[in-house]
Amino acid sequence: MLRKIFPYLLLVPTFLIVVIFIYYPAFQTFKLSFYKMSPFGNRLFFTGFGNFWSLFTSGQYIQSAYTTLIFVVVTVTVGLTISLFLALLLNQKVPGIGIFRTLIFAPYAVSPAVAGTLWAFLLSPVAGYVSYLFLIIFKAQPQWLTTYPLALIAVMIATIWKNLGFNIIFFLAGLQSIPKSYYEAATIDGANAFRTLFKITIPLLSPITFYLIVMNVTFTAFSAFATIDVMTQGGPANTTSTLIYKLYQDGFVNFNTGFASAESVVLILIMAVFTYFYFKFGQKAVFYQ
Amino acid sequence: MWRKVLVFMVMGILASAIFAAPITIQFWHAMGGTDRIQLLQNLANEFMQQNPDIKVEVQYTGSYSDTMTKMIAAVRAGNPPDLVMIYDIGTQMMIDSGAIIPIQNMINKDPSFDINTLVSASRGYYTVGGKLYSMPFNSSNPVIFYNKTLFEKAGLDPNNPPTTFEEFIADAQKLTVKDANGNTIQYGFTFGSGEPLAWFFEQFMAVQNALLLNNNNGRDGRATKAVFANDAGLRIFNFFNDMVQNGWAINAGPGWDNARQIFISQRAAMLITSTSDVNMMIKASQSGNFSLGVMFLPHPAGVPYGGVIVGGASLWMVDTKNTQREEATWKFLKFLESVDAQIEWSTGTGYFPVNKNSIIKLLYEGYYAKNPLYLVTVLQLLMSNVTPATSGGATGAFPQIRTAVDNAFAKMFTKAMTPQQALQWAQDQANQAIANYNSLY
Repeated sequence: MLRKIFPYLLLVPTFLIVVIFIYYPAFQTFKLSFYKMSPFGNRLFFTGFGNFWSLFTSGQYIQSAYTTLIFVVVTVTVGLTISLFLALLLNQKVPGIGIFRTLIFAPYAVSPAVAGTLWAFLLSPVAGYVSYLFLIIFKAQPQWLTTYPLALIAVMIATIWKNLGFNIIFFLAGLQSIPKSYYEAATIDGANAFRTLFKITIPLLSPITFYLIVMNVTFTAFSAFATIDVMTQGGPANTTSTLIYKLYQDGFVNFNTGFASAESVVLILIMAVFTYFYFKFGQKAVFYQ
Repeated sequence: MWRKVLVFMVMGILASAIFAAPITIQFWHAMGGTDRIQLLQNLANEFMQQNPDIKVEVQYTGSYSDTMTKMIAAVRAGNPPDLVMIYDIGTQMMIDSGAIIPIQNMINKDPSFDINTLVSASRGYYTVGGKLYSMPFNSSNPVIFYNKTLFEKAGLDPNNPPTTFEEFIADAQKLTVKDANGNTIQYGFTFGSGEPLAWFFEQFMAVQNALLLNNNNGRDGRATKAVFANDAGLRIFNFFNDMVQNGWAINAGPGWDNARQIFISQRAAMLITSTSDVNMMIKASQSGNFSLGVMFLPHPAGVPYGGVIVGGASLWMVDTKNTQREEATWKFLKFLESVDAQIEWSTGTGYFPVNKNSIIKLLYEGYYAKNPLYLVTVLQLLMSNVTPATSGGATGAFPQIRTAVDNAFAKMFTKAMTPQQALQWAQDQANQAIANYNSLY
């Protein structure tokens, strides 16, 4: 008898924590998404699917979804390509390579908010260094943070820069685990550098790449919040407002709790679909040696 | 016999211990920066020295909206602070919260507090339906700082700054400097977008004595419609648009910092910002070696001048159902509003005193003669007419209205909409937000 119960007893603490900090708030969110609530919660009305209806009929929400899609796809693709390129360079045996590796990894240690502040200063019109460089080199004065699509591009640059270190470290690890003998064989067979890159390096990096894609999508979709908040606050005219940023604005700036809960529920569903595909196809799509 | 005495003595000691135990009150505020946090702590320390039976726990709770978020969470959890600093646009939400005690109730009970000592404009903002709901504390409004050195370089009289929209635009043009390639190296004017820009819009409406919301800005009854899409609103949109499209003004991007940075680095000759920046600007002009001026907000020529709206935040008393703590909180509030506390606060920050007697005392002591820029910031408010328009709007949908107005500006600046279209769009969005908020009550 005790033997049967004992394992469950050991699980109780974990279970309690999960229930209190994850399931209960999630349940509350689901519940509130069907209600309209005053900021202080002293007025509560059931609206059924009213919040969801206004969500999907509001142009701004659809625009945010669209912005998120562009933001994630571009940031992840460009970010990973640059990272792979830099990782290949950093994989060379050059004197002082350790220093370069450390320097390149440094941005990762910076918090997203600080990264945003840094870039906001660099891109500040007239007073920023990047703006000054553009003036000298291209004789142009782009207004990075206040015009579309430059504002979105600025946020993408900051996010890519921020994630660079993380991606490079993983690519480097991947590169160093590829046995030298493959390259030797390829060289003997007369393959050039491009062929070895596309036929050996990239396929053998696929497990790492897949992992990095998943991590980067999560990073950019969910953690770029601070960068956006510091650099553009979702502007100009909501053009850099991703789903997460919109959720924050509705929940914590406008105090529209019911509406924000409905947005969370939509995000939970998106994540559920994403996770499903990750488990279903993730293992198959990857080439293991 | 001895036993009885002993029992009495023990009881006496216990009782005195209980009664002497200080009453603890919680005070949450949103004044960031080490200087301001320390200044408020010092004020609380002074109060505790005068009142050893009261302990004030001062807590910095993040930005205005962070503090509001925490306040909401605390009220819902049944554990709110006794006194909380809430931003201007949270006024209607607080009134509707059912969690507060209107300050008017405390004033009515306490003849020792003279409500007439409060600066009328500050008092007007926090009065809804004839009742003062919260205690004005850190009051500010926008002014225009300008670089006198650059004015001289452009051949303008630094002691005769523009007063109308038309003069302002003309001066902004003269203050714009381009290099040989046609690139602008100095702008006439700069401003922060986002929430600040929406706030400036509200101020320029008040300058023209125009209402933002119906029912006298929501002061006579719940506001049900936004009413700013009119000639007054259009003049403001055109004012900004003219300068931005012609390259005489630069939109510095969201928030306050970017615009300040451009002005401090002398890349723009005029900056619109809060009066509470006066300290920072004076220091920056000294280290940047330029001469600093402050001017009132300009108004369109031919339009009667209204005034400016009080911005910043006020202190709200929370209904804790604990009379002892409420009385202690009220005592602390009275201390914060006192002449000396207000002087300490305002000279340390740049917010102006909300106690008229503090202003008089500072004047007599020669403070304003030594610091004329501080006088300009106070004068602008004192010279404002107190009307429903200059009292500012009251609605729970205010955060969304600000977002809508800022978005409308962005749509206009990027030429996605004409000024007229943008203004109408903002009003439609505002109406939707107001209807949505009002449907709860």
